Amino acid sequence: MTDMHTTADHAHDAVHTPAAADSHDAHADTLLPTSRFMGIDLPVPLYTAVFGALALLTIIEVILAELPEFFLTTPLLVFLSICKAILVVWYYMHLRTDNKLYALALLIPLFIGIVGTLFLLAVPLFSYPY
Amino acid sequence: MALMEQTQAAAHDDAHGHGHSAARNENLKFAWWLYLASEVIIFTVLIAGYLVYAFNHREVVHEVHEAAGVLLVATNTFLLLASSWMMVMGLRSIQMGDQKGLLTWISATAIFGTIFVLLQIVEYATLSAAGVTLYHTSGELSEFGARFYAPTAFHGVHVIVGVLWAIYICYKGARGGYSKTNYIGVEIFGLYWHFVDVVWIFLFTFIYLI
Repeated sequence: MTDMHTTADHAHDAVHTPAAADSHDAHADTLLPTSRFMGIDLPVPLYTAVFGALALLTIIEVILAELPEFFLTTPLLVFLSICKAILVVWYYMHLRTDNKLYALALLIPLFIGIVGTLFLLAVPLFSYPY
Repeated sequence: MALMEQTQAAAHDDAHGHGHSAARNENLKFAWWLYLASEVIIFTVLIAGYLVYAFNHREVVHEVHEAAGVLLVATNTFLLLASSWMMVMGLRSIQMGDQKGLLTWISATAIFGTIFVLLQIVEYATLSAAGVTLYHTSGELSEFGARFYAPTAFHGVHVIVGVLWAIYICYKGARGGYSKTNYIGVEIFGLYWHFVDVVWIFLFTFIYLI
């Protein structure tokens, strides 16, 4: 009986890697009725706290866009949208706990896309001023 | 002795079954992230095309912003953000073994997605009446139209696909297709839906606010 138990445990250990166990445990805090988000204890689940942050950032964006335009308007709006995207990818798409290799699937094409866009912006509309 | 061997074999199969299942889920997720990478390229090209135009035609962009108004599109943004929250709450429910919760949250996701699409149609009708069309024989707005409709409509199609997928998740969930230990289908759908949300976050900022 002891041998049988040992064999089963061995097989179990062999296929349940520490990474898999860590990943499973890491999801545990999302199941709690309360959360700690950005260092603040909140009486709502983590996902709800993140939604609150997303809604708040969106309100700030809309207010900022409605205010008279100044030199920081565009950089601030882009910064806020990047913050929102990171919140969604990090918490809702579970990049916080999943394999970080997945991030490359977003970052590599994004990097190529941004470089391509900057290149396009450098192309004059009509002709180069030779 | 024979019983012990059978039990050992069962334990081995069970353990490896879990292992294969975990590996399969990881592979599924990685494959889905690679698919999302291809989507990043497509949307980046569409947004880049718009940005290059908008960067060089600020007056046209302001004119369209005034015609569209920010209220409708801000409402749509909240709807999509809320639907993302509902989606992930649905996943949370099934992770806790709450099948009814899964159905409730995913149904709400589908409803919010549908309202998003309907409001987008209203927005298109408003802009079309203001002269922002996909193709026009003359005028600056005609050049704006194609660059505006391409990314937003392509995104809208993604929302429609997501709504249909959510309905399928509800259908399968109602038949007991997901459980506390088997929820990879919901998780994969979640990755898609949240990606669509991320794309909208950038479209909202780049097209409607800047």
